[in-house]
Amino acid sequence: MNLSFRHGVLTSRRARAVAPALGVFLALASVSGVAAQDMSFDVDEAESGTSPTSKEGGSKGKGKSGKKAGKAEAEAEAGGEAQAEGGMEMGASGGDLLSELTAEKTDDAATAEGGLAREKESIEKIYAVQRMYVLRNGRFELAPSLAQTFNDQYVSHPSLGAGLNYWITNVLAVGVNLLWYQGIESEQKLTFSIRRSTRLAVPITEYQLGAHLNFTYVPIYGKFEMFNDSIFQWDAYLIGGVGMLRTRPVAVIDPAVRTFDFQWRVAFNAGIGLRVFVTKWLSIFGELRDYLYMEKLENLEVSLSQRGEPSTWTDQNSKLTNNVTVSLGFSMFFPFTFSYSYPK
Amino acid sequence: MKRFALTLTMIVAVLTLAGSAPTVQAQEVEIEGPLAGAPAVVGLRIYRALRFQVQLHAAMTLQDEYTRTVLPGGQLNFHLTDWLGIGVWGGYGLGLDTALTDQIVDKGQTNSVNVLSLPNRQLFAKQIGRIKFVVAPQLTFIPLRGKLGLFEKLFVDTDFYVFGGVGVVGLEERADVTAAKYDQCFEGGSSLPNSIQCFSQTATVRSTRVAIAPTFGAGLSLFLADFVAMTIEWRGLPFAWNTSGTDESGFSGGDFPDKAIDSKDYLPHFNHMMTLGFAFYFPTKPKISTVDLD
Repeated sequence: MNLSFRHGVLTSRRARAVAPALGVFLALASVSGVAAQDMSFDVDEAESGTSPTSKEGGSKGKGKSGKKAGKAEAEAEAGGEAQAEGGMEMGASGGDLLSELTAEKTDDAATAEGGLAREKESIEKIYAVQRMYVLRNGRFELAPSLAQTFNDQYVSHPSLGAGLNYWITNVLAVGVNLLWYQGIESEQKLTFSIRRSTRLAVPITEYQLGAHLNFTYVPIYGKFEMFNDSIFQWDAYLIGGVGMLRTRPVAVIDPAVRTFDFQWRVAFNAGIGLRVFVTKWLSIFGELRDYLYMEKLENLEVSLSQRGEPSTWTDQNSKLTNNVTVSLGFSMFFPFTFSYSYPK
Repeated sequence: MKRFALTLTMIVAVLTLAGSAPTVQAQEVEIEGPLAGAPAVVGLRIYRALRFQVQLHAAMTLQDEYTRTVLPGGQLNFHLTDWLGIGVWGGYGLGLDTALTDQIVDKGQTNSVNVLSLPNRQLFAKQIGRIKFVVAPQLTFIPLRGKLGLFEKLFVDTDFYVFGGVGVVGLEERADVTAAKYDQCFEGGSSLPNSIQCFSQTATVRSTRVAIAPTFGAGLSLFLADFVAMTIEWRGLPFAWNTSGTDESGFSGGDFPDKAIDSKDYLPHFNHMMTLGFAFYFPTKPKISTVDLD
């Protein structure tokens, strides 16, 4: 079974990686109290037999050369003090190590060529845990989409949609979505065919708009590689909420007399979606969502004595209706950029 | 309509702008150092290349008007590479009538205009068209390969595939009713009950044919073991047929009814279905990709 528990795998890997690191850490902690977040390794320590002085300095992974061991030592000590006093502040050369670690790119990466310099740089780019490709926490997501009803054979309900989400965490968002139907709906030929062939009328419904409050939760994520060359990050999400749907019956039983106005219906919704990130601020998504509401259909009976009475035009009983909708769209995250809170 | 036109214009503009963005590439995977130029994944289980895939599945058609078709069946593929396979998909059709069919059986009405289409409402379920089998030689293209994680705990190797081919669809429909038969049933100004009796004899007469249709779709494979995958896929199979066994040719204001049931009553339908299956791969052990970093 390849259904594996990552925790178990990581635990064994971590055990191998953490054991020596823990020893080093304890040694460092006893000297300078440097924080454990520093996960990068310097070639001078790892492979070229760095001097004890350098080790004691903790080589904070700032991308500085081991040739500056003396300076690093001083920085480490300062950093250790800063850490102790300031929490997240780690020992950088007069700056913020965290900012350096979470910076998107380093200029010196491109300039390194061959020899020790390249080897050193290479190792600095390998981290124990790869950071997430996109952080959503605290960002807004604007998502225009096109939607189509999936389960109504009688009326096609395409719609234009727009969603706005605010991501409370990286996996949980609250938002609203609006759907506009009126003017782009169409009655299918099937309803006409049934009337013509069987003398039966199927009560049908027209939508105008929907406005819904949703919560989005992302329990599943993954990545795809394309031809072993490119990698795409994607996730699957659950979405659900409550809102209002504005609908009205289409008069098919007694269209000469009956006309209907749009009415608001309370609609609950639940669905699943798939999102593929194209960039750190742009994604493409597909979604399947069921909007459930109680519909008032046209009355199948015509009261000859009260034919013109609007109260007799609709069925007294409401019918639970599922409006299963497939949406395709793209979403943009604002602000476009974000900062990582932790090193890679 | 103005609002709709304005909205549509704005969406088109946004899409156009997005489309003209400098580069839409794969994500910025910042691989540097010794990994620069290396494959995206090393040590990849090559699940498909040079392996046979034997699949058992059940498909169900969607958005059906009168009958829903469940297709238990199988698939046999040989994968030439990890991203291309060739094979045959098939299923045997079992019909489940929809609520609309039940409503027509209960409440349908027959008069002199629609007597050909609905001679006897209680026989309606026997006149509707049914899919009896589908066989589809097809190519499968697997562009994406990856894994998904559930709650950061459960990880499954996954691939996304698309396929296309030719569908051979066995159909059973109401047999043709000729204009001569129509005239015969109304011969001599026959009363409606007599006409109903005459046309009812035609309602249950069946004919079979094979429709050739394009078929295409997409799916996901979730590899549960080195040789077992769960698959879920969507398949489109558009072709024209007479799902209701009624006279559909012509328009109410014009030449309807044309007094016959024949190929002119085949209406285009975008038939589509979802399939859930389990695929077994042979040989049972996949190869593992290697890389030479030098």
